Amino acid sequence: MLIEARHVTKAFGGFTAVDRASLAVEPGEILGLIGPNGAGKSTLFNCLTGDLRPTSGRVLFEGRDVTRLAPEERARLGLARTFQVPQTFEHMTVLENVMIGAFLRTSRTSEASVRARAVIDTVGLGPLAHTPAHSLGTPGRKRLEIARALATRPKALLLDEAMAGLTPAEIARAIALIRDIHASGITLVIVEHVMEVVLSLASRVVVLHQGREIARGTPAEVTRDPVVIEAYLGKRAAGAANRAAPPASPGRPP
Amino acid sequence: MMRALASAVAAVAILAYPLVFSTPFQQRLGALVLLYAIGASAWNIVGGYAGQVSIGHAVFFGCGAYGALAAYQHLGLAPIAGLPMGVAVSILIAAVIGVPTLRLSGHYFSMATIAVAELVRLVVANTEWLGGAQGLSGPPVPRTLLDLSFTSALPYYYLFLAVLSAVIGLTWWIERSRIGYYLRAIRDCERAARSLGAAAPRYKLYAFILSAALTSIAGALYAVMFGFVDPESGLGILISVKMVIMAALGGAGLLLGPLVGAVILVPLEELSNSLLGGAGAGLTFVAYGAIVMAIARFQPGGILQRVLRLRRKARPAPAVPVAQP
Amino acid sequence: MSLTLVQVVAGGLLLGAVYALFSSGLTLIWGMMNVVNFAHGDFVMLGMYVAFVVWMLMGAGPAAAVPIAALLLATLGVVCYFSLIRHVMKGPMLAQILGTFGLALLLRYSAFWYFGANFQTLPDTLVGGTLRLGPVRIESSRLLAGVVALMVTAGLHLLLTRTSLGSRMLAVSEDAAAAELMGIRPQRMQATAWALAAAATGIAGALIATFFYISPTVGETLAIVAFVTVALGGFGSVPGALIAGLLIGVIESVSAYAIGAVYKDIVVYALFVAVLWLRPEGLMGRTR
Repeated sequence: MLIEARHVTKAFGGFTAVDRASLAVEPGEILGLIGPNGAGKSTLFNCLTGDLRPTSGRVLFEGRDVTRLAPEERARLGLARTFQVPQTFEHMTVLENVMIGAFLRTSRTSEASVRARAVIDTVGLGPLAHTPAHSLGTPGRKRLEIARALATRPKALLLDEAMAGLTPAEIARAIALIRDIHASGITLVIVEHVMEVVLSLASRVVVLHQGREIARGTPAEVTRDPVVIEAYLGKRAAGAANRAAPPASPGRPP
Repeated sequence: MMRALASAVAAVAILAYPLVFSTPFQQRLGALVLLYAIGASAWNIVGGYAGQVSIGHAVFFGCGAYGALAAYQHLGLAPIAGLPMGVAVSILIAAVIGVPTLRLSGHYFSMATIAVAELVRLVVANTEWLGGAQGLSGPPVPRTLLDLSFTSALPYYYLFLAVLSAVIGLTWWIERSRIGYYLRAIRDCERAARSLGAAAPRYKLYAFILSAALTSIAGALYAVMFGFVDPESGLGILISVKMVIMAALGGAGLLLGPLVGAVILVPLEELSNSLLGGAGAGLTFVAYGAIVMAIARFQPGGILQRVLRLRRKARPAPAVPVAQP
Repeated sequence: MSLTLVQVVAGGLLLGAVYALFSSGLTLIWGMMNVVNFAHGDFVMLGMYVAFVVWMLMGAGPAAAVPIAALLLATLGVVCYFSLIRHVMKGPMLAQILGTFGLALLLRYSAFWYFGANFQTLPDTLVGGTLRLGPVRIESSRLLAGVVALMVTAGLHLLLTRTSLGSRMLAVSEDAAAAELMGIRPQRMQATAWALAAAATGIAGALIATFFYISPTVGETLAIVAFVTVALGGFGSVPGALIAGLLIGVIESVSAYAIGAVYKDIVVYALFVAVLWLRPEGLMGRTR
C-alpha cells in the first residue's frame, strides 16, 4: 500500500467534516475520491497532504506514519499535490515555478533549470517557459501546477479538483495528460466533481457523504449504487434508479 | 551592451564621488548614504526577499554598535573587534524572535520585532555597564589604525563601499541560488512552496538571521564612524523606520532597491534638517509616515519596480505562441 | 502589607479593563479582516488628546470627552478604512504592514508637532477624589474608567454575538464572498468594524486621560500592550481580550509595585515573547 488513511476524523469545533474515513491506495493505481458538496473530500485530501492535522486517526505513506508530518516533509517522501484554486507563484515565470519543484531533488540552480525545462516540455508548456505565471489562464495555471508537482519526482500525485473550471475540450486534454503521468508510473488520487472524468480515469472509487464513506468499488459499481445516487440526487432518484436497473454486487464499506 | 556601459559609468561615478565632491560635508553625506544602504540592504533580505516585515531591525543595529563600543569601553579593544560579539547577540535575538513567530502568520513576526526592539532598548537604557541613558563612547583619540577613527569621511566612504559591495554581492548570490528561489516562492505563496518541499519556516529563519547579522555589521560601522551610541541613536525606532523606508521606497526584494532608496532619502533628510532645524524633527517623521503610507497604498514594489516595469513596456515583447496548451 | 497588594491588584484590574477595551478593537479587526492595525496605540493617544482639547475648550470632563472621542475616532477609522486599508488589504503583507505603520508615524508625529513633546495632564478635579471600597482606596477616575471600559467591552461583545449586525459582520469574517452572495456588503461591514474598533480606542483614550499623562508617544507602549493582550487572548476573540487585558493590567501593576515602575514595561514586553513561545494561540486557543 502506498498511501493509507486509517479511521481519519477531522472536526472543526463542533462540526465533524470527516468521520472515521479509511482509504488504501495501491501503487500504480488511480483512486477517485468523490461525493456531493460538503462531503469532506477536500478535508480528507488535506489530511493526506499534511495541510490539515486529523483530530484522530492515522495517515501512512509507504508504511510510515506521517500523520504529524509537515507538508514539505511529505513532499520529500514523494507525495505531491495540486490545489483546487491554482496557487502558482504569480510573480515568477513558468520555468521558475517548475524549478521550485525541481529544487527538491537538487540544490544546483543550473540542474534545476534543466530538469524543469524537461518537465515543462513533457507537459506541453514549452513555448511559455519564460512567461510570468500571472498571465496564464486557468487551464495554463492548472497545467503549471501539475508540472511543478511532477518536478518533485513524486511517487504519488494528489489532484484536487483539477478539472474545475475547464471547458470540455480542456478537460479532454487534461485527461490525456493525467493518463500519460499515470503511464510513467506515478500513483494518482483524484478528488473530482466531474463524474465523466472519474469514470474514465479511476480504477477504483471511494464515495464520501457528510464526512463518512458510503460506498467504494469500481466506477461502474459505485455509480449504480442507490446509496450513492441518493446522496447526490435524493431518495426519489435513488428509488427510480433502483427500479430501472438492480445494482450489481456493490462494494460495501468494510 | 548598453547595460554594461551604463553599469561601468555608474561604478566609476560611485568610486570617484568623494574625490570629485570633496568637501567634508559632501564626503560625509556620501558615507552616510552608503552606511544606510548597508542597513537597508540587510533588511531587504528578510523584508524584501523573504517577505517578512521586520519593523524592529534597530535592535540588530544597536547590537553591533553597542558590541563595538562595549568592547572598547570594558576591554580596551579597538571597537571593530567587538563586531563578532554584536553579530552573535544579533543572531541570538533573531532566533528568539523568529523561531516561534515564523511558523505563524506574518503579523506575529512583525509585532514581535517591535516588541523585542523596545524591550531591548528599555533594558539597555537601564543597564549601567552599557552606559544607561548616557550611552557609550569610543576612543577619543585614535590609538592604532585598527581603531578606524579617521578625521575625514573619505576612508569611511571607501570602507562602507567595500562592505556594501560585499552585502550586495552576497544578496546577488542568494538571489540565484536555491535559497533565493525558495524565498521568492515562499513570499508569493507559502502554502504552495511548502507543498513542493520548501521548509518555509526554516528558510524564513535563515533569511532573518542573515539579515540580523548584516545589520549588526552596519551598527558596528556606525559606532566606528561616530564614536558614540546611546539608546536613541542605536536602538531607537527611527533607525528601524529608515531602514524599512529606504528599502521599500527604492524597491523591496530588488537587489539595488535599498541603495536607490538611500540615495534619495539621506540627502533629503539632510536638506530638511537644515531647512527646518529642530522644529522640523517632528515634521520629518510626519513626512516619513506619509511616504510609507503612500508606498504601501500606491507602489509597494518601490521606485525601482516602477522603473523596471516601464522599461519592460518600452521594450517589445518577444514573440510567443498565443495558443493555450 | 497584603492590603496594599489588594489595592495594587484592584488598580491593575481597573486599568486592565481599559486595556481590554482598546484591545478588543484590535482583535475584532484582526479576526475579521486579517489586518493588524499598527497604528492602534496611536488611535488611543488621539482619544487622549481629544479629552485634553475638550477640557481646554469647554472645561468639560469625560462625560463630554468620551462620546466626542468615540465619534471622532470612529470617523477616523472609517476614513482610514476607505482611503487606505481597503486597498492594502488586497496587496502583499509588506503593503499591509507598512500602511498601518506609516499611519502610526503620521498620527504620532503630527500630534508631536502640533502639541509638542511635553506631557499634558488633566486636572485631578475633573473626576476627583478617592473612594473607599471596604479597606481599599481607589481613585475615582480609575474606578470610573475601569467600570465604563468593562461595560463598553461587554456591549461590544453583545453587539457582535447577539445582534443581526454582529452576525452579518461574523459572516463577512468567515467568508466575504459567500456573505456577498447573501446580500451582505462586505465593505460596509468591514468599515463598521473599523468604526467600532476606533470608537473603542477613542473611549479608552478619553478615559485614560483622566488619570494618566498625555503625550504623543504613549501610542508606542499602548500598541505593544494591545499586541500582548490580543496574542494572549487569541486573535479575533473579544472575551479573550477581556480576560487577557485584566490579566495584563494586574501583572503590570504588581510588577510596578514589586520591582519598580521603570521595569513594568519590560515585564509586559517579555510576557509577549513568552506568550509567542509558549502559547501563541492564546488563552482561547486560536492562531492564524
